[in-house]
Amino acid sequence: MSGPAGHALSLQGVAKRYGDFTAVQGATLEVASGEFLTLLGPSGSGKTTILMMIAGFVEPSAGRILLDGRDITALPPERRDFGMVFQGYALFPHMTVAENVAFPLRVRRMARAERDAKVRAALDLVQLDRFADRRPSQLSGGQQQRVALARALVFDPALLLLDEPLSALDKKLRAELQEELKALHRRIGRSFINVTHDQEEALSLSDRIAILNHGHVMQVGSPEALYERPATRFVADFLGKSNFIEGEAEPDAGGMALRRGRARVVARGTAPAGRALLSLRPEKIVLLPAEGAPALAEDNVVEGRIAAWSYLGTGFAVTVETPDLGAIRVHLPAWRSPVAPAEGLAVRLGWSRDAAVVVAEDAAMAPQGHAA
Amino acid sequence: MGGYRPGWLNGAVAWATVIYLILPITIILPVSLTDQRFLSLPVHALSGEHYLRLLTTPAWTNAILQSAFIAVASTVLAVVLGTLCAIGCWRLSRRSTELVRALMLLPIIIPSIAYAIGLYRYFAKLGLLDSFTGVVIAHGVTGIPYVVITVSTALAAFDPRLESAARGMGASLPQTLRWVILPRIAPGIVSGAIFAFIHSWDELVVVLFIASRRVFTLPRKIWDGINENLDPAMAAVAVLLVAMTVLLLLLDLALRRQRRD
Repeated sequence: MSGPAGHALSLQGVAKRYGDFTAVQGATLEVASGEFLTLLGPSGSGKTTILMMIAGFVEPSAGRILLDGRDITALPPERRDFGMVFQGYALFPHMTVAENVAFPLRVRRMARAERDAKVRAALDLVQLDRFADRRPSQLSGGQQQRVALARALVFDPALLLLDEPLSALDKKLRAELQEELKALHRRIGRSFINVTHDQEEALSLSDRIAILNHGHVMQVGSPEALYERPATRFVADFLGKSNFIEGEAEPDAGGMALRRGRARVVARGTAPAGRALLSLRPEKIVLLPAEGAPALAEDNVVEGRIAAWSYLGTGFAVTVETPDLGAIRVHLPAWRSPVAPAEGLAVRLGWSRDAAVVVAEDAAMAPQGHAA
Repeated sequence: MGGYRPGWLNGAVAWATVIYLILPITIILPVSLTDQRFLSLPVHALSGEHYLRLLTTPAWTNAILQSAFIAVASTVLAVVLGTLCAIGCWRLSRRSTELVRALMLLPIIIPSIAYAIGLYRYFAKLGLLDSFTGVVIAHGVTGIPYVVITVSTALAAFDPRLESAARGMGASLPQTLRWVILPRIAPGIVSGAIFAFIHSWDELVVVLFIASRRVFTLPRKIWDGINENLDPAMAAVAVLLVAMTVLLLLLDLALRRQRRD
């Protein structure tokens, strides 16, 4: 798996329409050399269509796709030299593991000795050298997934495309293979483009994430940037969980403030006067009993009663009903929790100014907003 | 399996049907072993002389060879054309290809006697009457439906992502066909070939119309024999025909079972 470093891919206003239905709306994306980019979105968001247009299986209705500056929009898939791991892997059932991995090399009429050496190296890479003579049906889901990876990488592709590569596996195995995939990406230094609807997978694997909804690229950025500074309600809601507080924005010395009923909430950033929306992550809120606890030294403090709670092992998910801000979800660690949650318990909530972030309503938001 | 148990009436009707289907076939076996010189059940002892005569009389061996040759050649024709047709329809997959597929089934839908009359008219003009080429073409074309059906069934079970995967890895269409699609549908092709072979092996009506002196297939030889004399050798031929067919069907069954494992 040596050779030149990764290649850069660029989508310029790529769109796909099926009759009246628009699957992808003018997507513009850059994939830097060696980058791990994830297309994340709910089903029907157009993420798979974008991947299929990159692979060449779906012809764009508009826009261009460039590889290292060269226009490949019209190139058929068999001439793009991209490795691809299909959903469900699409291994050839009538071939052994080694024959599956050798397929891309056989197609390229590579000499047998060289081919065998490359197949062995690829199987080594995914730790499947002992399974070379097995059939795919004799392998577990995780092993099949690795064969698909080896097959996609053996011919030194310019890019690796992954279509929901881990979705067929159970949770524990998925976490394991995520680690492996990440290590593999670091080792071979190729650009990976991954499609998933699993936000945890996207957060843990990617250098950058593009969030899609209804065929629009909503926001592109590093996992941390998207999580900490979501641009819209959709992004904040889809990537992790979030509370939303709507109110009238007004200037404030340390940033901005939001007035709702008798409550006044301060947040960082700025917002023009008028309606504004704040996103507040449940784990950034401190929760204390209303009585018998020291006062909360936070920028924002509100009182309320616990309406519902559940135990999650690592923590409690608590819903607090507040008079002015409505229901607020709080996530607090279970270990040495200062509160024993109980329905109807009077509590105080507190969070600092920089815990909340201004987000746009989805309709008001023009797509393609880029976070740093 | 904890299904419903059939009642005695159902069982009786089912067994009667089975016996009704099989009895005419079972009668030819003892008749073929008769020690008499006409078509009858054995009287004093079982005898293999009619089988021996079958394999030593040039007229019979000639008919066996002719039938085998015609069946093999027409099977090749049916398999090639039928497979290409099925793959083509599958790849294009439009409403018009459904029509094409239905058209390809015509030879087994239309009564073979009607088909034979039509063939007779055309073959007369083309000079194909009483020729091996003519019979091979006729049997090949009427064997196509079996291949189209079995190959289409195999293709319906073919995972289209395998084709995408092959293309994505750089395979051209011929490479994808040879290394991915054909191996996956090979069992369907073999099944179709077996049925096409059986179809030609025991076909009589078309041959009666388009053959006269030169082409004498086994079924036609039996037909003539029945009309001219009551030679027990015909029962022996019939046993051979049935044995061949049963053997091929068992082969098909074995192949299907292997595929399932």
